[in-house]
Amino acid sequence: MSDPFLRMVDVRKRFPGVDALKSVTLEAYAGEAVALIGANGAGKSTLMNVLGGVIAPDGGYIEIDGKRAAFRTPAEASRDGVAFVHQELALMPTLNILDNMLITSFPRRKGLIDYRAGEELCRNALKQLGYDFPLRTRVRDLSPGDQQIVEIARTLLGKSRIVIFDEPTSSLTSREKERLFEIIRIMKSRGTAIIYITHLLDEVFTVCERAVIMRNGAKVAESRIADLTRGQIVEKMIGSQEAVAYFQHHERRPGEVLLTVEHLNREGFLDDVSFTLRSGEVVGLWGLLGSGRTELFRALMGLDPIHRGRIRLHKPGSEVVDLSPQRAHSVMGMLTEDRRTDGLLLPMSIRLNMSIANLKNLLYRGWPFVYRAREESVTREYVKKLNIKSTSIEQRVATLSGGNQQKVVVGRWLQTKPLIFLLDEPTRGLDVEAKAELHAIVANMADAGAAVVIVSSDLDEIMSLSDRYLVMVRGRIVKEYSALATKHELLATASGISAQAEGVG
Amino acid sequence: MAIHSLPTEASEVLAAPQRDLKGRAFRLIPVALLIVILGVLSAVVPYFLSLNNFISILMQSAALGLMALGLTAVLITGGIDLSIPSLMSFSAVLGAMYMKAGGSPVVASFLMLAVALAGGCVNGLAVAWLKMIPFVVTLSTMAVFSGASIWITNAVSVTGIPRRFITTVMADVGVIPIPVIVFVVMTLLMQLLLTRSLYGRWLYAVGTNIRAARVSGIPTQRVLFGAYVFSGLAAGLAAIITTAWLGTAGGTIGSEGVVLDVVSSAVLGGVSIYGGAGTAVGAFVGTILIKLISNSLNFLQASYYLVLVTKGVVIVAFVAVDSLFRRKS
Repeated sequence: MSDPFLRMVDVRKRFPGVDALKSVTLEAYAGEAVALIGANGAGKSTLMNVLGGVIAPDGGYIEIDGKRAAFRTPAEASRDGVAFVHQELALMPTLNILDNMLITSFPRRKGLIDYRAGEELCRNALKQLGYDFPLRTRVRDLSPGDQQIVEIARTLLGKSRIVIFDEPTSSLTSREKERLFEIIRIMKSRGTAIIYITHLLDEVFTVCERAVIMRNGAKVAESRIADLTRGQIVEKMIGSQEAVAYFQHHERRPGEVLLTVEHLNREGFLDDVSFTLRSGEVVGLWGLLGSGRTELFRALMGLDPIHRGRIRLHKPGSEVVDLSPQRAHSVMGMLTEDRRTDGLLLPMSIRLNMSIANLKNLLYRGWPFVYRAREESVTREYVKKLNIKSTSIEQRVATLSGGNQQKVVVGRWLQTKPLIFLLDEPTRGLDVEAKAELHAIVANMADAGAAVVIVSSDLDEIMSLSDRYLVMVRGRIVKEYSALATKHELLATASGISAQAEGVG
Repeated sequence: MAIHSLPTEASEVLAAPQRDLKGRAFRLIPVALLIVILGVLSAVVPYFLSLNNFISILMQSAALGLMALGLTAVLITGGIDLSIPSLMSFSAVLGAMYMKAGGSPVVASFLMLAVALAGGCVNGLAVAWLKMIPFVVTLSTMAVFSGASIWITNAVSVTGIPRRFITTVMADVGVIPIPVIVFVVMTLLMQLLLTRSLYGRWLYAVGTNIRAARVSGIPTQRVLFGAYVFSGLAAGLAAIITTAWLGTAGGTIGSEGVVLDVVSSAVLGGVSIYGGAGTAVGAFVGTILIKLISNSLNFLQASYYLVLVTKGVVIVAFVAVDSLFRRKS
C-alpha cells in the first residue's frame, strides 16, 4: 500500500484528572477499514472527536493526504472530507429525508433553496448505496436501519474521504447489519478510508483489514486482522485475564414457580404472551429490536396498560394472587435499557438515587418522613456490596462512570429485595471490566433465589448468563429453549425463520 | 452478596468535588445578594435596621411569599403555574362578595381556600392526567380566573369587608402580625416537607427525571397533582391576607405585575425553572429580595416601568446563571 491517507501523529489530550490521550498515532489508508477497538474510556471517542474537530488536542498533528489539517469545528472537518456516522442516529425525526441530508448544504439559486438540484444530489447519493427512498418521507417513519442509510448517504454528499462509524450496528437488525457491511465494502472500493469503532468483535473480523487497540488513552496494539484472534483482542483491550470470566457460565437449579404470565395482551405491542418464571433462574429474553422485549418488561412492571391477560404471583409462603400494577414495584425491579433517560436522576447524589424506590421502607416509625441515618447506612451497605467506586454517597451520579452508574441502579432495586429482576440491556455501553462485574451481580441475584429475566442484543452475553431462553418475534413468545440452545437456533428463531415452520412454541 | 473486587481507578472520582462546590456557590448567591442589599440600605436609609421596619418588610412580603412558595413546589416538578395571582384575586373577590352580602368572615376564609384549592385541582388534573403542558394550562386558567374576577365585580373593587375580618387576620401575636407568622411557618413547614418527607423526595425526583421516577414506582401523576393543589392552597392563604391587608378585593390585585413578582421571587431564591432544584427557604429569601428591590426603587422614585424592566432583567440574569451551571454538569 502507498502512503497513509490519514495520519494522526502524537495526539495528546488531557482532561482534568485524566490523560485521555497519551501520544496516540493512528494511520488510515484509502480503501481500507481500520477497526478502533477499546473498552469504554480507552480514548476511542476522544481520538475521533479530535479528528472530527469537536475537541482541540493539547499536542500532536493531523495530516490528510500529506497536508497538515487542524480542525477547529466539526464544520471545518466535514469540509475537508471527514464524516461521522454517529452511534445514536443524529437525524431530525420530523423532517423528511431530503431536508435531513441537505440541512447544512442546501444547494441555492438566487438565495433560495434549489430543491430540484437537491433531489438530484440526494437521489444520486442513495443510489450509490443501492437505495431509492421517496425523498419526502419523514425520517421518523423509517426503520432505524433505513435511518442509518440516510445518515451514511449524507456523508457521500460531502465527498467524504474519511468516514468514521461509531458503533454503527447497535440499533440494527441482523439483515440491516449485512446491508451495512455491504455498503462499507462499496465505500472501500471507491477509495474511502473507514474508521470503524466497535465493541463487537465479530464485526471487526467481517468488516476490517486492520485493527488498532486502545487502552487507558494509549495505543496498545496495531495489527492486521488476519494475524489476530478474538481472545488476543479481548486480552489487549482489558489487559488482564478478566476475559476468561467474561464468558463463563455455571449451572443453576431453578426452584419454585414465582410468576405465571397468562395470555398477556397489549394492543399493537404484546400478543398472547404466556410464560412462567422460577426462583433462582436466569431467563434470556431474546429477540430482535422491536420484537416487544422492552414492552413486555414495562407491562410486567405496571408501567404500560394491559388489555387482556393476567399476571399471577406465587409468593413463597402465601397464596397465589393476581399482581396488580400498583404492587408490581414491591416484588419486581427493572433496569431500563437507557439508564440516562429513564433510570438515573443524574444531577442527584448516589444516596438519593439508590433510596428512591425503597423510601417507603426507610421511613421514621411509620411517619411519612425519611429516616436519614438508616437511608445512609443502607446506601453505604449497597455501595460496598456492589463495589461502586465513589468519593462518598453524596457524589452526584452524573460524575460516575457508566459501570458505576449502572451499579447504582442495581443497588436501587437490590434494596427493595425484589423476587424478580427484569434487566433490559444491563451492560449496554459498559466496558469489558464493568460487564464482567455486572455479570457476576446477575449470577448472584439468581443464586440468592431471585428470578432474573435478561434482555441483551449481545447474543454471547445472553448465552453466557441464561439457564433458559424465551424468543420473541413481533410481540409474541414464539419458542422456548433450554440452556443447550445453539447460537444458530436462537438467531434463526428470532429472525422468524423456524418460527413459521414450527408454529408457536 | 459477594462481588469479586476490582481495582479502583482514581480518575473516575476526581472530577466530582469541584462540581459540587460550584453548585453550593450558586445556592449561596441569593443570600449573598440579600446581605449586600441589606448592607447598602442600612447605610443609606436611616432606621432601616429597626425591628419595626423588619416586621414591616415581612408583612409586605407575606402574600407574595406564600404565592412564591406555591410556585416553588410546581417549579420543582419542572412545571410552571402562572395562574397563582389570578386565582388569588378570584378567590379573594368571591370571599369578599360573600362577606359584603353579610356572610361570616370565618366561612368566607374557608370559601377563599376552597375556591383556590379547586382552581389548583383544575390545573393539576390538566397537567397530571390530561398530560397538558403546564405553561399552556396555567396561562389559560390565568386568563379565566382574572377575567372572571373582573367580570363578576364589573371591574369595581369589592368594599365593605367586615372590620372583624380585617382586625382578626391582621392581629399581632406579641409584636408579630399573623400574616408574617403564617409566612414564616409555611416556609419552615414546606422546607421540612421538601427535605425530609417522602412527598418531598418524590417531588424532586419527578422534577429531575419523570421517566426514571415512574420506573422507580413513584406515583408521578399524584405527585404532579399535589404540587398544583399546594400552589392553589398557597393562593388561597395569600387571598385571605391580601383581602385583609388592602381592606378590599378586586380583579387587579393579581395582575401581570404580580405574576412577574412571584416568578422572580422564586427564581431569585435559586429555584430552578428547569425543575428538580429549589428550596422553600430560598423562595423566602427571594421574596424579601424582590420586596427590597421594589421598595428601594420606589424610594428613589423610579418609574413603575423602570421597576418592571429591572425585575425582568433580574429574572433573565438568574435563569442564565442557572442554565450555565446546569450545562457544566
